[in-house]
Amino acid sequence: MHRLSGSTGEQAMKGPTRVSIVRALAPLGLLFMGSWSVIVFTSGNARRFTLEQAWCRPSLGHILGCADGGIDVAKFVAFAIGYVLLLALSVAVIGAILGTVLGATAAFLGGAFEQVLLKACDLVQSFPNFLLALAVLAAVEQPRRWHIGAVFVLTAWAGFARLAAVQSRKLVIAEFVIAARAFGASRSSILRRHIVPHVLGPVAIQVGTVAAGVVIGESALAFVGLGPADGISLGVLIEQGAVGMLRAPHVLIFSACAVALASGACQLAAEGLRLWVRRS
Amino acid sequence: MIQEFGLPDHRPRGRNWAKPLWDAWGVALSAFAVLVIFATLVFLALRLLPGDPTELILGDQATAAERAQLAAKLGFNASLPVQYLRYLAGLLRLDLGASLSHPERAAFACVASALKSTSTLALISVGFGSVGGVLAALLSVGPWLGKYRGQMHSAILVVAATPLLAFAPLATWIFAVRLAWTPLPGDPENGAWGLLFAAALLSLPLGAQVARIGRASLMEQEGAQFLDVARAKGASSVRVWCIHALPVAAAPILVVLATQLGALLGGAVVLERFFERPGLGTLMLEAYAARDFPVLEASIVAAGLLFVIVQVVAAGCIGFLDPRGNRP
Repeated sequence: MHRLSGSTGEQAMKGPTRVSIVRALAPLGLLFMGSWSVIVFTSGNARRFTLEQAWCRPSLGHILGCADGGIDVAKFVAFAIGYVLLLALSVAVIGAILGTVLGATAAFLGGAFEQVLLKACDLVQSFPNFLLALAVLAAVEQPRRWHIGAVFVLTAWAGFARLAAVQSRKLVIAEFVIAARAFGASRSSILRRHIVPHVLGPVAIQVGTVAAGVVIGESALAFVGLGPADGISLGVLIEQGAVGMLRAPHVLIFSACAVALASGACQLAAEGLRLWVRRS
Repeated sequence: MIQEFGLPDHRPRGRNWAKPLWDAWGVALSAFAVLVIFATLVFLALRLLPGDPTELILGDQATAAERAQLAAKLGFNASLPVQYLRYLAGLLRLDLGASLSHPERAAFACVASALKSTSTLALISVGFGSVGGVLAALLSVGPWLGKYRGQMHSAILVVAATPLLAFAPLATWIFAVRLAWTPLPGDPENGAWGLLFAAALLSLPLGAQVARIGRASLMEQEGAQFLDVARAKGASSVRVWCIHALPVAAAPILVVLATQLGALLGGAVVLERFFERPGLGTLMLEAYAARDFPVLEASIVAAGLLFVIVQVVAAGCIGFLDPRGNRP
């Protein structure tokens, strides 16, 4: 992309360093790899009951203690974080692809299509997501994880579409695009070399934000009893913690911290992507 | 004179009342469209259920005759378009039939009683959230905190980034279990304190969003000439920020309040479940679990209606507060 030259320009570019970008992206990466290595390398499922250890406090055998029915909290949290992060990232990426394609197309075609799309984005974005999820999930007897993901994609695309439409609209009349056109660049090369890289920046940031929203949304749905059928979700653990708040507060504390950690890591990654876009 | 020379007319004029009303009407129309689409979605989702709804309601012990009777009662034996028209007519008359789990009560009566406690919770937390958020925004731009202004801003960002689902249980554990300042969730005698505590928790994310946007909006006014004029006339910093800058910066705050209502309703569902309070969220979840279709439809549509009304009111208020957009 275009690097400014001259002393003032150099000062302006003296922004984020590589270290700060890595620092912002690392928590999500570590959390994802860590939880998936637990899922892949440990045997047995996360919901194995050992009744005699129900609600036992953190010890060497169970570092984060046990929850209802003697479920190992540490293992359950690792499984839940792994699954929810995978779900969140897939929803965000699918939403990003759908939304960006729709938005950029709308900006190029203009006219009625663009108007309709922006209006549709308005409608989708203005509606309470939780109600929509409740209405749609009521249709399935026992929601599976991909059902929940589909509900989130239903709303996630709109943010990306609006972003892509607004951004490409600005870019079509940007000076460097006009210059490229004046040099005789073809339409596809303008799209590929000038428009897409500039649209991807804001879209990448939005991926992190949407992922954080999905982490919280999935946990909230599971907390109120609309979670995935296999019952492995941080919301389920928070619900158990709320029930056992008096005898075993560690379940509540660790599960609440896990939700904050997972969504915080996604938000931090969004910040890291923002820095990375600014740098490149 | 001005018009004769074809110059732009910058003479001060009285408030134009028609434009904000017209804007609100536009918002109302599109909001109504959303509501119809949403009601249709609810209808289709419940009708296109993979299993037989009468079996879900009655259990697999029920005889075929009982099931047929229930299907007739719910109108399931009519064709889908007929059912849909009946459903829309029922929504217009606010009558979707009786609740299935409490046959003596109409579905909309259940919703009305649940709405009372949810709207109390929502109103108190909107009050807390807007006052607290605006105060935090003012503190983070005004001169009162000195060098700690930056910390205020970081605090706002941290609260805005922390999910309600994470801090509500933690705060409850600290305040209700460790310190015993507030009643335990689910305590039937928790009364006003329980309500205030739940509302305070619900207001935190809202307040943080208000503070974030309010701060950005106030920062835009920071170097404005009219504030310099006020300072030159000897106005105190409280007067400059609260009387002069705040009304100008209020429109984005109202937009945030209106758009956060959806999140507030979602948060209310979670908090009602957590504190075992009666309300719209509890009603929806109970109706979902019991497959009480009339109540589920009525409560989801009622929540949507509530949301739409707030959007329209907010659009109207913004027009009145900031007349700059109203010039014809």
